[in-house]
Order: sequence, then structure tokens, then C-alpha cells
Amino acid sequence: MSNTDLPGFAELDRDGAIEEAASKVDGHTRQAFLRRTGAFMGAGAAFAALPAGAFAQGGASKGDVAILNFALTLEYLESAFYAEALSKGALKGETKKFADVVAAHEKTHVTTLKSVLGSSAVKEPQFNFKGTTASQSTFQQTSIVLEDTGVKAYLGQAGNIKAKAVLKSAASILAIEARHASWIRNIVGNGSSPSPAPESFQSSLTMSAVLAAVQGTGFITSMPSASAGGATSGNPSVTG
Amino acid sequence: MSESHDGLTLEEVDRDGALRETAAAVAEAEASGDTRGSLLRKTGAFVGGGLLLGGVPLAVAGAQGGGLPKSDVTILNFALTLEYLESTFYQRAVASGKLQGSLATFAQVVAGHEAAHVQALLSTLGSKAVKKPSFDFKGTTSDPKKFAATAQVLEDTGVTAYEGQVTNIKTPAVLMAAGSILPIEARHAAWIRDINGRGSDPVPAPDAFNPAKTMDEVLAAVKATGFIKG
Repeated sequence: MSNTDLPGFAELDRDGAIEEAASKVDGHTRQAFLRRTGAFMGAGAAFAALPAGAFAQGGASKGDVAILNFALTLEYLESAFYAEALSKGALKGETKKFADVVAAHEKTHVTTLKSVLGSSAVKEPQFNFKGTTASQSTFQQTSIVLEDTGVKAYLGQAGNIKAKAVLKSAASILAIEARHASWIRNIVGNGSSPSPAPESFQSSLTMSAVLAAVQGTGFITSMPSASAGGATSGNPSVTG
Repeated sequence: MSESHDGLTLEEVDRDGALRETAAAVAEAEASGDTRGSLLRKTGAFVGGGLLLGGVPLAVAGAQGGGLPKSDVTILNFALTLEYLESTFYQRAVASGKLQGSLATFAQVVAGHEAAHVQALLSTLGSKAVKKPSFDFKGTTSDPKKFAATAQVLEDTGVTAYEGQVTNIKTPAVLMAAGSILPIEARHAAWIRDINGRGSDPVPAPDAFNPAKTMDEVLAAVKATGFIKG
């Protein structure tokens, strides 16, 4: 998913804060960026098998904590998107069913990630989905972009994760995000266009590419200043 | 993959007991540790869900199997066997000419993907690749209903198989390859589930976290289908 595939953004970042932040993501400031902003979209990542608080305060490598918070931010975004769409009441038929099921999954991913990260978890940002949750068609198109991005985000981190338990959990979420993406694509295109499985090998996105894409959506309007415990730390060398 | 047992029994096909013997050996190998690779190499058998190599053949191809740890070669051959099974299944289903509409579109697209997975795995493994087994799909490729039900089982199994090997892979390039195939199998699974249930039953994404299966569990499930003749 290139930035241009995302439904209109940019207009929200009036003071350029998000853009400035994104520009620093590639280097050693990415972790600090994530700590400060606690933001950005989503695809989940990890933890089904991890005990609560396992990654808080020194329980894991800084790189894994950064990846988990990256995933948590994406899951916050997805979860909020589906919750808002359901509350607007504009969805019907299978699209409504899809939203019901997926909303529960994303919420579970958020809860699990927060539990694993404990005090190192970033806080939830504030969102503005710009009306995309108010109609069936804009909801569908946005959902396709979010789910496809989620798949690419998780896959992009597979080679960066250090703890096996985190990798295992990330793989279990990766598969679910892919199922979501395929499902909404089939609802929209009935197997033709967009195809539920458009390629033989799934493409991925680096963390910075995902953050830039999220920034491009303008869906995130404000970011918490720090994690609950202020202890989020990450490996500066984490490469998307 | 308990659903795969429906109507399919190993005994129907495994007349000389070769598969049962192999399955027993797999269990022993699992217990002892590292003979699984040679076992798979010897039998060249078992089903499918693919696991690895997606975009990766490029990164790993030069190794031609020789530069990879034995355990990775075993995992790749496990994946190759599953992909052989899936690929042949779809190829025959498309050739049967009995599928129509969305089911035909699904079969055509997925047949192309599975064939690409087989090719990628073959090029990665080089001379270490297991040979393609003979298959008997017991009429499931020429009957739309049976095809739809079987495709769902195969794809769900493929996802659990790749997921179960993620933490066993040692080579980063192989992990990325497997990682790029895993979500494609998941997309296939959700797609056929949506065709079968239109979002209700079976649900395209039944759980918040996708379950995983060990190599032994997958091999046992494949054995139970009786699809592999030897």
C-alpha cells in the first residue's frame, strides 16, 4: 500500500508535527518517536502466548517493545475504526457482520498487547476517521486499506522480532489480519476486483513506510505524550 | 484439521501400509529429534498447506538447499509437500471443468499461487527437494461441493502448518519467505470460507488469533485424508 492508496489525509497535520515525526522515524529517533507519539495505525503483532506484563520494564528487548507498541498503535486505530463504524449504524448485510466480527478481534488484539506491555504500553491516540465510517462504501474501501496495511506491517516486522514467543504471537495475528483483508475484499469484489488474494507472495512494509502511510491518512489527530509508565524503550537499530 | 477426516480414510489408500509405517516413523523422529528431515526426504510425502518461501526464493535460491541448516531443509520440504498437494488439487479441479462462478475464479487464482509456491520452494531447495508424490483426491476435484469443502480444509491446514514452523526456522531469508506465504494461505482460507458461508458459517476469520499446528499434527491430518498415494 503506497501512501497514495490511502483515502485522503494530510490535511490534518497542520503544524507538520506528524510529518516531522515521521521524517525521523528511519533513524535512531524512531523509538523516541514512538514513545512520544504513542501513535499510528495498525496491524497487530503479538502475544497470544505471552503472560501479562511480560514486556514491561525490562522484560524484553527494547526492539521487541518498540515493535509491540508499533503493533498496539495500529490495533488501536483499527479497533477505534470498527467501533465507530458500528456505532454509526450505516452498515448492513455481510458488511455489518464483517464489522461485528472484526471489531471484536481488533479489540482483543489491543487488550492482549496492552496486557503484555504492561506499563510500557503506549496510550491510545485520538482519531478522526473523516466520515469514512458513515457510509457502507467508504467503510469498505477504508477497511481494505487498513487490513492490507496491517498484514504488511506485521510481515515487515517478522525478521526484526527477537523473542520467539513474540514471533509466534505476531504470526497468529498476521494470519488473522490477512483473513480480514481477504474477507472484506471478497465482500466488495466477489472474487474479482479487488481480488481477495492479489499476489502469490505477500508484500510487506517497513515500520517507517507504515508510519508514513498512517500519517498520510490523517486519521490520528492527537497523540499521547508518553506511555503509562514512561518506560517504553526501544532498540534504535530496529529497522522496519 | 479434524474435518479432513470426514469421508477420507487412510486405510482405503494405504494398502501396503507404507503411509502408516511412515507416520509411525514421524512420531519416533519427533521424539528423537532430528531424523524428520531424512524421513521426509525418503518418503517425499504428505499434504498440504504451504509454508515458506514466498518472495524469498530470490534470497535463498543461491543456496540450493546446500547452504541451509538441515532443519530448515526439512521444514522447506514439509512445506513443499503441502504445496505439491494443494497445487495438484487445484490443477485437477480447474481441469475438471466442473467449477463455475466464484468457485471457478477462486480455483484458477489459487492454482496459480500454489504453483508459484511449488516453483519457489523447488528453486530454493535445489537437489535437496523431495519428489512430488502421487495423489488421489477421491472425487473431490470434480464435484463443486466436495471441492469447496476440501479446499477449505486444505487452506486452513496450510495456515496452521506455516504458523507452526515460524519459530523453528533458523535462516532469516527462509523466515521471510515463509512469512510471505503464510498470509496468502490465510487469504485463500478466508476467501473459500466466504464463498461457502457468505460471512456466516463458516466465518472467514473464526478467531482473534489463528491457531498453529506442529509438523506431526499436520502430517497426521494429511495422512488421514488418504490423498497421498505414495
